[in-house]
Amino acid sequence: MGSEAVQSILETLSYSVSGFLLQGALTAIEIAVIAIAAGVVLGLGLALMRLSTFKLVSGFAWFYIWFMRGTPVLLQLVFLYDALPPLGLKLDSFTTAVLGFTLNEAAFCAEIIRGGIISVDRRQTVAAAALGMARFLTLRRIILPQAMRAILPALANQSISVIKGTAVASVIFVNELTFRSQQIVGQNFKFFTVFAAAGLIYLVMTSAVAALQRYLEQRFNPEIEHKRAVTPVPDEAPEAMDWRTLIAAKAPAVSSDLAFVTCHDVRKSYGPREILRGVDLKVQRGEVVVVMGPSGSGKSTLLRLINHLEHVDGGEILVDGKHVGYESHTDGRLEPVRNLAGARAEARIGMVFQSFNLFEHLTALENVAEAPVQVYRQDEAAARAHGARLLAAVGLGRHLDHLPHRLSGGQQQRVAIARALAVSPKLMLFDEPTSALDPELVGEVLTAIRHMAEAGMTMIVVTHEVRFAREVADRIVFMDEGVIVEQGTPAEVLDRPTQERTQRFLRLIERPATP
Amino acid sequence: MRLRHAIGICALAGLFAVSLQSGAQAAPSCEPEKLAAKYPKLAGKKLIIGQDGESAPFSHRDPKDFNHLIGLDADLARATFACIGVPIEFKTGAWSGLIPAAMSGQVDLMWDTLLYTPERAKKMDFVAYMKSATAIIVPKGNPKKIKTVADMCGLTGTANLGTTQEAMLREGSEKCIAAGKKPIEIVTSTDMPASLRLVQNSRADAALTNKFVGDIMAASTPTIEVAGGIVTNALIAVGTAKGNDDLINAIFDALSVLQANGEMKKIYDANKVDYDLVIPPDILTQ
Repeated sequence: MGSEAVQSILETLSYSVSGFLLQGALTAIEIAVIAIAAGVVLGLGLALMRLSTFKLVSGFAWFYIWFMRGTPVLLQLVFLYDALPPLGLKLDSFTTAVLGFTLNEAAFCAEIIRGGIISVDRRQTVAAAALGMARFLTLRRIILPQAMRAILPALANQSISVIKGTAVASVIFVNELTFRSQQIVGQNFKFFTVFAAAGLIYLVMTSAVAALQRYLEQRFNPEIEHKRAVTPVPDEAPEAMDWRTLIAAKAPAVSSDLAFVTCHDVRKSYGPREILRGVDLKVQRGEVVVVMGPSGSGKSTLLRLINHLEHVDGGEILVDGKHVGYESHTDGRLEPVRNLAGARAEARIGMVFQSFNLFEHLTALENVAEAPVQVYRQDEAAARAHGARLLAAVGLGRHLDHLPHRLSGGQQQRVAIARALAVSPKLMLFDEPTSALDPELVGEVLTAIRHMAEAGMTMIVVTHEVRFAREVADRIVFMDEGVIVEQGTPAEVLDRPTQERTQRFLRLIERPATP
Repeated sequence: MRLRHAIGICALAGLFAVSLQSGAQAAPSCEPEKLAAKYPKLAGKKLIIGQDGESAPFSHRDPKDFNHLIGLDADLARATFACIGVPIEFKTGAWSGLIPAAMSGQVDLMWDTLLYTPERAKKMDFVAYMKSATAIIVPKGNPKKIKTVADMCGLTGTANLGTTQEAMLREGSEKCIAAGKKPIEIVTSTDMPASLRLVQNSRADAALTNKFVGDIMAASTPTIEVAGGIVTNALIAVGTAKGNDDLINAIFDALSVLQANGEMKKIYDANKVDYDLVIPPDILTQ
């Protein structure tokens, strides 16, 4: 009995190195590699089509995926191979198999990639848009690298399925591994040892896929620290920093009547809900305007309209005398331009979000240098040097190569400020920059904002920090239910509010004694 | 209608050519050098022949070189086209893909123990050359005492999907029911080695397959035996897509020659297939 078992094992091993079977394995690999590679490329296209807002485009992609996933690949192969010749298209076996599996994989890969894309937080896209990054640049640099973590395991499964699935191509005369092993069995009936040998070869092939998957997963895993050699820069004492040169802010224009930001009768609705109901606001060059108001009053929406992250429904907004990403039609109507990202980049409006929205797969320095290099085409070394100075200025010179998940909330928000400053903004928008922070971390962020204000940056800050508003704001605007209720100097609005709504709101937020 | 007309004219022209040839010579013989004159449509061509490559002794791999096909069908095809004077190339694929490939012209010819049926003749033309025979394969010692399909009532039988053997099991089952007995439980499989495994593992009591395939299996597998053989009137034929009249005629002529000069018998003997099953070649187009 023992010697029989040894005999079987030896026989299996000898079959597993037989040229006849290995040739079949090679055929299976060739078909699978081409099909997966081409399938991923086509699948990416289909995934983007499915995410398109054009019904016709997304509908086509949906139909394609529905059809290819819904019909057996065996029948597709026989159809391609045997139904096309009468129409004058006679494909050979290998070409048919490659084509058939590619068309099939495109459908499966499309859904895998789409799943990866929608698994990435939408706020990453908003942050990229605020930096003037175009759609495909955002996809390539921000979304896909993060989507890879969700895509890779599913894609490896799919690749392994295809390698094994090429066996069905024997109906169109592709002599791959399973078919060849059946051929040997048909001759000598030693199915146990021959099939065991084929199984062994399949294991070797699929192990290679598993190894590649492991390598790629590590490569795209932001939680594994990569060797990104960055020399830490000493943090400079804020007093010693020349913020004015650092952020290249222009000195306030001498008594110019022309406002830097002009909002005129701005209206915006989400569906039937009116968010902004005719907002008029002027911000002078170098002025710091703090916008306060209860949640839902339209403060954040107003900021998102100013740098055109969303379209206005009515009225108009001018920044530095220009519409951001709108062009006038002959009838005087304003229409969004096609190259909205380019218009945003040109406007140079920096934005800082409540939830930081740092690019999770990039280090602090990479976050800061991303837009200068990718959008403004600055020299990478220069952009990194400037980025390092900005990070040092916000007290993060020792954290240049840290990924966001290793930083505290306050540190992340300071990186976000440095990132916004890196594009030399003419206007800074802050959307509740300290609301998501623990109380002890609020100070470090407000200090950075205060430095910018002192350096003459034009800023619109949405915040509930009364003390900060009192110290930094030139003017406070109080909003409620989509309109500006009252505005004036901090002393006027905070100490002597004339409107009942303002008084009620201030009582509400000042109840917990501010230190 | 017009196509049928054209085929008719071609067939007539073919017959005319053949009669001219036979008129000129006393005994038919292989004339590969006259290919262009006898079968102009085959001149300069290389024919692709579809086989499954896993049905010993008809089409299977040479144990000395797996890249080489041997067996009755492979040898007969080589001899036939050597006689005609056309080079050939074998293409191996799963049996279920062979008929669609022959119909669509992806292979020029299916030569793989293919049975002629009137249904298949609607899509293909045939040259028949032998009768089929079926073997009943049972475990060694024949524990269920099976001699014919009639002995299988209430038992489990297996055959390849879509074969005459499957049809025989279904017919036998009907007869069992008619005789007031339990029907045959029928399990179909995709290839013969799979049927064999069903019998070896006692999942089926008997497997029906081509007699000679069964003989080879029994010879190389000590746990089974052939319980009985049945010669049927079903005809084994070479099949090609409709409209290849030169090809059909050439095969008909060559098989006639090989039968007359004894070469065909040698091939049958070498592959241990019973030459008594051979019939004079017969062109079947409907």
